[in-house]
Amino acid sequence: MAGPYSDAVYTTDEYGRPFIIVREQGKKTRSHGVEAIKSHILAARTVANIVRTSLGPRGLDKILISPDGEITVTNDGATILGQMEVEHQIAKLLVQLSKSQDDEIGDGTTGVVVLAGALLEQSEALLDRGIHPIRIADGFERACKIAVAELDRISDRVEFSKENTENLLKAAMTSLGSKIVSKAHRQFAQIAVDAVLSVADLARRDVDFELIKVDGKVGGSLEDTTLVQGVVIDKDMSHPQMPRTIKDARIAILTCPFEPPRPKTKHKLDIGSAEEYKKLQVYEKEKFADMVKRVKDTGANLVICQWGFDDEANHLLMQNELPAVRWVGGPEIELIAVATNGRIVPRFEDLSAEKLGKAGIVREVSFGTTRDKMLVVEECANTRAVTIFVRGSNKMIIDEAKRALHDAICVVRNLVVDNRVVYGGGAAEISCSVAVAKAADDIPSIEQYAMRAFASALDAIPLALAENSGLAPIETLADVKSRQVTENNSKLGIDCNARGQNDMKEQFVYDPLISKRQQYLLATQLVRAVLKIDDVITAGEDNE
Amino acid sequence: MQRGLPMQPTVVLLREGTDTSQGKGQLLSNISACLAVAETLSSTLGPRGMDKLIVNNRGEAQITNDGATILKLLEIVHPAAKTLVDIGRAQDAEVGDGTTSVVLLAAQMLKEVRGYIEEGVSPHIIMKGYRLGAQLAIDRIKEIQVSIDKSDSARFRSLLLKCASTSMSSKLIHSEKPFFSEMVVDAVQCLDQEDLDESLIGIKKIAGGGMQDSQLIRGVAFKKTFTYAGAEQQPKSFKDPLVLCLNVELELKAEKDNAEVRVNAVSDYQAIVDAEWTIIYNKLEAIQKTGAQVVLSKLPIGDLATQWFADRNIFCAGRVTAQDLRRVVQAVGGSVQSTCSDIERKHLGTCGKFEERQVGGERYNVFEDCPISKTCTLLLRGGAEQFIEEVERSLHDAIMVVKRAVKNSQVVAGGGAVEMDISAHIRAHARTIPGKIQLILTAFARALEIIPRQICDNAGLDATDVLNKLRQLHARGDKWAGVDVEGEDGVRDNMEAFVWEPSLVKTNAIGSAVEAACLILSVDETVKNPQSEGMNPGPRAPPGAAQRALRGRGRGR
Repeated sequence: MAGPYSDAVYTTDEYGRPFIIVREQGKKTRSHGVEAIKSHILAARTVANIVRTSLGPRGLDKILISPDGEITVTNDGATILGQMEVEHQIAKLLVQLSKSQDDEIGDGTTGVVVLAGALLEQSEALLDRGIHPIRIADGFERACKIAVAELDRISDRVEFSKENTENLLKAAMTSLGSKIVSKAHRQFAQIAVDAVLSVADLARRDVDFELIKVDGKVGGSLEDTTLVQGVVIDKDMSHPQMPRTIKDARIAILTCPFEPPRPKTKHKLDIGSAEEYKKLQVYEKEKFADMVKRVKDTGANLVICQWGFDDEANHLLMQNELPAVRWVGGPEIELIAVATNGRIVPRFEDLSAEKLGKAGIVREVSFGTTRDKMLVVEECANTRAVTIFVRGSNKMIIDEAKRALHDAICVVRNLVVDNRVVYGGGAAEISCSVAVAKAADDIPSIEQYAMRAFASALDAIPLALAENSGLAPIETLADVKSRQVTENNSKLGIDCNARGQNDMKEQFVYDPLISKRQQYLLATQLVRAVLKIDDVITAGEDNE
Repeated sequence: MQRGLPMQPTVVLLREGTDTSQGKGQLLSNISACLAVAETLSSTLGPRGMDKLIVNNRGEAQITNDGATILKLLEIVHPAAKTLVDIGRAQDAEVGDGTTSVVLLAAQMLKEVRGYIEEGVSPHIIMKGYRLGAQLAIDRIKEIQVSIDKSDSARFRSLLLKCASTSMSSKLIHSEKPFFSEMVVDAVQCLDQEDLDESLIGIKKIAGGGMQDSQLIRGVAFKKTFTYAGAEQQPKSFKDPLVLCLNVELELKAEKDNAEVRVNAVSDYQAIVDAEWTIIYNKLEAIQKTGAQVVLSKLPIGDLATQWFADRNIFCAGRVTAQDLRRVVQAVGGSVQSTCSDIERKHLGTCGKFEERQVGGERYNVFEDCPISKTCTLLLRGGAEQFIEEVERSLHDAIMVVKRAVKNSQVVAGGGAVEMDISAHIRAHARTIPGKIQLILTAFARALEIIPRQICDNAGLDATDVLNKLRQLHARGDKWAGVDVEGEDGVRDNMEAFVWEPSLVKTNAIGSAVEAACLILSVDETVKNPQSEGMNPGPRAPPGAAQRALRGRGRGR
């Protein structure tokens, strides 16, 4: 950025005295014109280059260390950028860009940043030729329209049903290809597909993510990851002697504490005599007995309680053979209620048999030699809530596996919502690049140059893929591109896994169409915003 | 500050350090200050205008193209230059669009007469000339403006679309003009056509997705409020539900904070507990009896009530913001109740469809097909926060323009066409009057040309060339010839090209630009008290600004 506030606003009067127009003028910095745009492009490219190496199945991971010394290992674009804590304003835009892709689509977060970086890189050359930045942006937008139309053209529909999930599995595997879980590749893909299909409403093409819970625990290996058709909560039975497994559980879900009721209004109980005191004790005992009886009467054989209860109550429950779980958090209570078709009950007086939740089996699972225990609620009345339980040798791997699963789940979800796909491995980008370059020749105005630049920017994705896979990038791209044109086959992409096969359909490398489409649109929009800025005014840091 | 002053014997009249500058020099330096501000702004004008990225001292960035916003963010403290900020803001409040043009016009008017001031023409003559010029200009606009025929609704609508898209042409959403102008016109037409209160158009921003995913809800939508356990078990979709809006807290809690209950006997203890439960249950039962299926409250609805409603297939949402609730009431009818008793059918509203819907990463409560719908909601999407904010500002401008067009329904051609026409008109008129006023009117006419000139400059066209072409066309009577940034020769008939603006935007802009210019011209002395701390040698700020400045410094500490 430029040094002091440039002379445009820093003015002197007739006597040569400077006068102040803007508050704290001296502290503000300003850069404008082409210089500003260039510095933005540089910043954006730097960010794009950082994530570029994590693209594709052979992409590498990054270690990010937070200020508290916490370590994250990931190759998920949105996570890397999110944790980098970038300072530069334009770089921040890129971070938000990948986050927006993450929120909306959940996958392709690296690709969108690489594409935006490539577009900006191309526009730099055009700026040097003296083309107006907005004309460049206009050209990019026209090109983007063509590219999106081309995507529609080359897209394929994948057929799937509850029984035939092979195609979904393939798409999930593409998304998992670059992640740490590729060791248990197929298993994770299967988990993602099963999870989505069990909560998906295929008729309405709607997937409620709230019903998929991803939980993890250190220990075991990635292969031990399982999909639980039900709910897992990180709690154990309140008393060690309570049964570990309950079959045909009828669950009372309570949001009141297991203790004598207490008015919320500030109160004071004056006890004047020993008699009264004894009465109080009797009252409390009665209350406990009453509460347990009420629960028992409904036929419940498991109590899940949002609050705690003291040892006295615990003991009483134990005596009455009523297993209980205490301190279960609000969202988990809700999840259990949804899964077991139970009702959350706020007070004992409201308990009744029909408000109980039902589950086929509730068991306490312990892990290895540690005393960690978890409660698994399975075979629930409502099968739509599922939990993915991730295992791994350390916390970093589990976190990364969770992120990978999130991506895969998103891919499957997107396919459930819209079953059109394009082929990955850069195949779609190459086709679009060819289409845009061709269309550019028909444009009479300056936008032609910008469109050609867009076509070259699209090549950045296959280039990066090839580079990350250890292939000669330019050679490979040139080869695939010419084959696409001569064979008129838009399914050809970069053979990242060295299977000796460029046809991505054969390799089953799919990407959802909406994901690619969104990438192009978002990247183009961001580039327009960046190119449109010609003036940056930064207020200085406040000195303490 | 004092360093450049020539040595002179001074009589101490004012407190030491007080800066008094006066006379012509002061006038000229005020003009320079205004020009400097206008120059910062000038590159944002027109369809090829650029944006500014402004970072404040807390590190928050805003990207914008809106004149009023830029001026606000620049934190201008120079007293004369502040006038420009004020007219920009006034234009924003009054007509909502044309904020950049008004500032540019005012600055240019000052620039044109700078030479005359240096030559010793009295500012009063200039002011008189300018006032006359403004009158002529406004009369001319009234003379040439084109009335929109409201009787043919389809045509009227297409005219509104054009106005909206002209106001968007310089903004980030330029490429999605057709999409957004539809949206804006629909939104304005949803409103009560008599009143047109634009605050009833709710704008919700949801990060994520592309701009194209933005949508207009004919009704009300707001983000799902914080809910307690049990909300997931409530039904999320209703047809023709009764809607009850409350200002009541539905929670099991202490009735009065300072109340204390003294219980003397153990047997009374349970009675107190029961009493508390009865209070809340009575409230809930009263609500259920009204038959309402959707219950909204400004205050929290606790977990107990949430679960109670879930059991009875009623949807509830607590902590709805006051503004959202107001718009819900506007849309569905009924009124906000402050008690749970005595609620009758007439206090309840209804709508065709209620639904909780996924929008991007958020869930939204949406009321649609409302019977007395006088409100609507724009759900804006975009890749980054700054995008959405800029989209919101652009839409605000467009909404205001459409609103003006609906109210006044008189338009002129934009793209510098109307300015060129007024300029030609005034120039012709100037020749008929003798005296200095003639010069001033000519200067006024030249100042108006800044608009087409700047549009050309920003678009990379040869401004002198285009302006000469325009002058020639206007002299021939081609009154709607304006700048064309797309085409080959840079000029076209902007009326036919549908670059339209409500004439009110222009009359107001010229009027306030002249006022501001006259105000600055009439000042010849600034008396500035030294600031007590002396750290910021800014001039004496008006009362409001002083407070702001204090707050600004306070933050830094």
